[in-house]
Amino acid sequence: MKRVISAALMTGAAAVLAATAVAQPAELTRTDAAEQQGVSCNSTLKIALVTPLTGGAGFLGNAQLSWAKYAVKTLQKNYGLKVRLITGDTPVEQGPAPAQALAQKYVADRSVVAVIGPATSGAVAATSRAYFQAGLAHISPSATRTSLTQGAAKEATPAFFRVVGGDYIQGPHDARFMVDKLKVTKVVIIDFQEPYSVGLADAAQAFLRSKNVTVQRESTSVRTTDFSSLVTRVPADANIVFFPTQQPEDAQTFAQQLLEQGKRAKVFGGDGANSPDKFKLAGSYVSNFAPDISSFAYNKALIAGWKRDNPRASLESFGPPTYGAVQVAMNAIQRACKAGNGRVKDRRDVVRNVKRIRVKNWILGGDFRFSTRTNDPLNARFYIFQIQSNGAYKLVG
Amino acid sequence: MLGSVRLDTFIQLTLNGLTLGSVYALIALGYTLVYGILKLLNFAHGDVFMVGSFIGFGALQALGGSATPKVPVWLLLVLIVLAAMVGCALLGVAIERFAYRPLRNAPRIAPLISALGVSFFLAYSVQLMFGSEQRDYDAFSISAGALFFNGFDIGNVRIPLLRIIIIVSAFVLMIALWLMVTRTRIGKAMRATSHDREAAAMMGIDVDRVIVFAFVLGSALAGAAGVMFALRAPTSATIGFIAGLKGFTAAVIGGIGSIPGAMAGGLILGFAEAYTQGYISTRWSDLLVFSLLILFMLFRPQGLFGSPELKKV
Amino acid sequence: MDDRTDHPLEESVPAAGTTAGPQIGKDEWVARISERRTGRGGWLGKVDERARAVPWWAWLTLFVALAAMLPVGFESGYVRRIAFDTVVFMLLALGLNVVVGWGGLLDLGYVAFFGVGAYTYAVVSSEKFDLHVSALVSIPLALVVGGIVGLLVGLPSRRLVGDYLAIVTLFFFQIFLTVTNNGESIFGKDLTGGPNGIINVDPLNVFGRELPVSRDGIFNVAYLYVALALFIVVYVALRFANDSRTGRAWRSLREDPLAAELMGMPVQWLKLTAFAFGAAVAGLTGALVTGLNTSVFPQTFEFPLLITIYTMVILGGAGSQAGVVIGAIAISVVLEVLREPGDARYLFYAVAILSIFAALRISRRLAAVVGGTLVLGFVAHAVAESIDASWTAGAPNGGGRVAGWASDWVIVPADLAGWLGPVAYITLIVLILALTLLHGWYRLALLVPTLYLAAFVWENVMITKPEPTRFVILGAILVAVMIARPEGILGEKRVEIV
Repeated sequence: MKRVISAALMTGAAAVLAATAVAQPAELTRTDAAEQQGVSCNSTLKIALVTPLTGGAGFLGNAQLSWAKYAVKTLQKNYGLKVRLITGDTPVEQGPAPAQALAQKYVADRSVVAVIGPATSGAVAATSRAYFQAGLAHISPSATRTSLTQGAAKEATPAFFRVVGGDYIQGPHDARFMVDKLKVTKVVIIDFQEPYSVGLADAAQAFLRSKNVTVQRESTSVRTTDFSSLVTRVPADANIVFFPTQQPEDAQTFAQQLLEQGKRAKVFGGDGANSPDKFKLAGSYVSNFAPDISSFAYNKALIAGWKRDNPRASLESFGPPTYGAVQVAMNAIQRACKAGNGRVKDRRDVVRNVKRIRVKNWILGGDFRFSTRTNDPLNARFYIFQIQSNGAYKLVG
Repeated sequence: MLGSVRLDTFIQLTLNGLTLGSVYALIALGYTLVYGILKLLNFAHGDVFMVGSFIGFGALQALGGSATPKVPVWLLLVLIVLAAMVGCALLGVAIERFAYRPLRNAPRIAPLISALGVSFFLAYSVQLMFGSEQRDYDAFSISAGALFFNGFDIGNVRIPLLRIIIIVSAFVLMIALWLMVTRTRIGKAMRATSHDREAAAMMGIDVDRVIVFAFVLGSALAGAAGVMFALRAPTSATIGFIAGLKGFTAAVIGGIGSIPGAMAGGLILGFAEAYTQGYISTRWSDLLVFSLLILFMLFRPQGLFGSPELKKV
Repeated sequence: MDDRTDHPLEESVPAAGTTAGPQIGKDEWVARISERRTGRGGWLGKVDERARAVPWWAWLTLFVALAAMLPVGFESGYVRRIAFDTVVFMLLALGLNVVVGWGGLLDLGYVAFFGVGAYTYAVVSSEKFDLHVSALVSIPLALVVGGIVGLLVGLPSRRLVGDYLAIVTLFFFQIFLTVTNNGESIFGKDLTGGPNGIINVDPLNVFGRELPVSRDGIFNVAYLYVALALFIVVYVALRFANDSRTGRAWRSLREDPLAAELMGMPVQWLKLTAFAFGAAVAGLTGALVTGLNTSVFPQTFEFPLLITIYTMVILGGAGSQAGVVIGAIAISVVLEVLREPGDARYLFYAVAILSIFAALRISRRLAAVVGGTLVLGFVAHAVAESIDASWTAGAPNGGGRVAGWASDWVIVPADLAGWLGPVAYITLIVLILALTLLHGWYRLALLVPTLYLAAFVWENVMITKPEPTRFVILGAILVAVMIARPEGILGEKRVEIV
């Protein structure tokens, strides 16, 4: 009897809960008067950096953090703003869950007016909708997956922006270089069963196949570090192995193992392999979304300042775009402040203003503006380097 | 020569399998030694392997780094392997003493869970202390690539010196272990304890000492394996998990509890992986290897060299 | 009247208040008797007795009522979202409890069942194959599919014991990961979306009405209520299963498989049902989570998640439903707090202070240790500052109210030398291990520098890296609980008959 009662109680409670869940009124959020007014630009505004600071991709996040910090520190005066950088850690081992929790946090915090990131395309796909509904601009310096902004089912929303070209640019650009300059006939393309490499590999493969180049596609786990058998599969007459890794040491190991097994093919890495310290086997190629930023005279002071703040760090490719993203964000915030007479009335104002930004002397070279059709950079291009015998990266295309 | 490309591929893959297999065999031996006596799957063993690779890296840097070593190359290699072996032996003893010994009489699930905890603790402690970047021994820079470009040729395939060194050292270690287990008193004690722990204790064997010795041997081998692995591919804090899985697979295939079984299992696994990757696909090779193991566990759980376990009632 | 001297059966019963751990050779009835006789003394014991007298469903109602009122107290979408995640963990812990706690099986592939449920929901309720099935169908479907897959995985493993079962389930987990990560090209068909997962999954919809996942980007608290409702259903259902014949059969199977088999119980079948039940619960939870996230990615289902759930179950007490729920809440909260260095700092000091109090009680020893640690800290800080001001000039990471005081006590260098972090960390571990070997005054004396070093390591090494820190702590909890109190918080002491 007791059992029946308790069972009945439980089902009843469960039903009541479920009913409350379904029968929610349309307007759930209470916005009080203060929130309606937005945030004053005289108070400290917050910009959130969402990137993997720890875990397997921690090197990426820490590079981005150092440049974001530097940008916030040096650009505040330029734009007349008081900005504080807050960080959210999205370790890749935990999947999209940390990004989602952080999205909730920043959406709820009214003083957060812009988000730099998420750094990984997966996190963008998981959280863009939440940011969009809250009207929070999220500008990523590194989420390059094609399907975020291209195709029928875009994973990202109109509040998402990125300051580097997507895989749909890098892949074909690299492939075009291979066809035009390197005159390849046979290419091996490798992916690592994770979104970044698969996207790049697919894009490159499509272009190469359209030019009648023989493509052999291989795939291995991202955790592989000993590529011996994969190398054995590379045919003796292959010219290039396209190796879109995010770990430069793997590119180096692979190139060494190619040599060890007497293969002629050269390694062609994507922007993820860009690291003169770690990937330095002469003859290999690397593509990147920017030339060496120290080749631009106007960047000299900037780089010197960054180096002073980060004495032990080396200049690599993931950091500088973050500076650019922060610059865009602060620019947009400043405009929103002007339009709102000293207040950011609605975070959506920032979103609207991001699109209109133009930056001269962009840190990655040239001038920057967004494409009119998508929230990707206009005319993003990639740069190809070849590694010289002294390990230097020479611009070749 | 007709079909020489195929022959070359076969030779190269066999070489890959042998190199891989030697490392797996060393790891598998550690599993088998411990399981034989304690009937415990030491999940943390793979992470001991990882720590060995890190110790070796530290030793390498302390001795000047791969491009500019302060000692002759042969001594460099010997020293880093020794450092890893000693360090890992100590680590293994500590793990046994603090994580497993208190659970000697607990339900069987308890030390397994403790082992899981230790495995996690080790892997992420290393990541906490040293970061998640990969560590590259960069053996290529040793004597400007001498280890890679010297060697002898079979057909069109070059057998680099480094691989020879790895394979030979692994076999030397395995033979040394085999001799130790079969020819020495403590080895006999180990065998007796693995056969029947209570009876061995009653015969006056110090079971605790035997267990510690098993951990010392197993962990030292794992440390050596770590260095040998890292000489060819970068290491990082999280490689221990997969390495442990593979080593365990090898031990089971060969027959867990049997030392020649572990060696055979390691080599078989190395070859299986190399051939499936080389001839079939790199994408599905892990799947095939795992399925192989499951088949073994279902139809021949005692492995190749083990004997079916009889439960005394 | 001393019971212990009158009953020869209990000669070797340990004194009240000490834990002897699982004891080989004694049978369970005896173990239970001695536990009851030597139950917790003092006020804690009285509270414990009263608590046990309250029926389980009263506790459940109270708990759910409190949880349902949480959104009233906390309007932040973030807190509500965390609450939802916690309920998800509670569900997962309940499922794992069936397999590990009641069946006594070490299932290392549990997260794969979670993933199976998630993908099932994503496949039938999304644009991927243009099926848009109502949640009333797809959630039970995920549960059933999870259960079936659990059955299938259990089938070949039914002959295997302990360690072998663990390995087979672990390999099944690896197979699941491989298939989902490569699922975009299985025989040319895109089944699981590969590494990009499946997106544009429908939110939960019932009776044609869709439950939006967020309003203005803020988490819709309705999902928290749905999760709680599912939690109640699962809790009650499992409770009934455990109180039934199957549950009793599970218990006997766990305690002595050989005897159970001899008594004619269908041991293999029982193992399979335990597996299947646990997997079904995991599948259900997968569907729920996917409905909220409107997407599923293979990177969510990784080994660290499995260890997290295991820690919750072990800490709470395998075999006790209430226990694993408590474990889930505790671990979930700890992990959330660890995300922010400022909050993490509170956690450390709170835990340190609470555990010293619990271990030493109000006594002179406590005063000695606490006083000694504080003094040591200030002295060390002053010495370090006088040697070189930059040694203590560092800003304590993350801020927070305690940060100011903390940096006056702990040495926080402006620039931590690369070698100092690892050396301090390893020394701390060695000291902690040494503490377990010492007794009496030596132990107390060593405790003082250990505590200070722990604070140092926490501030300088661990706080700034939440990701490895969280797993280091989880691993340490697993080992520590297994050794010190294997039955966890609310579990029952187990005795294995050899």
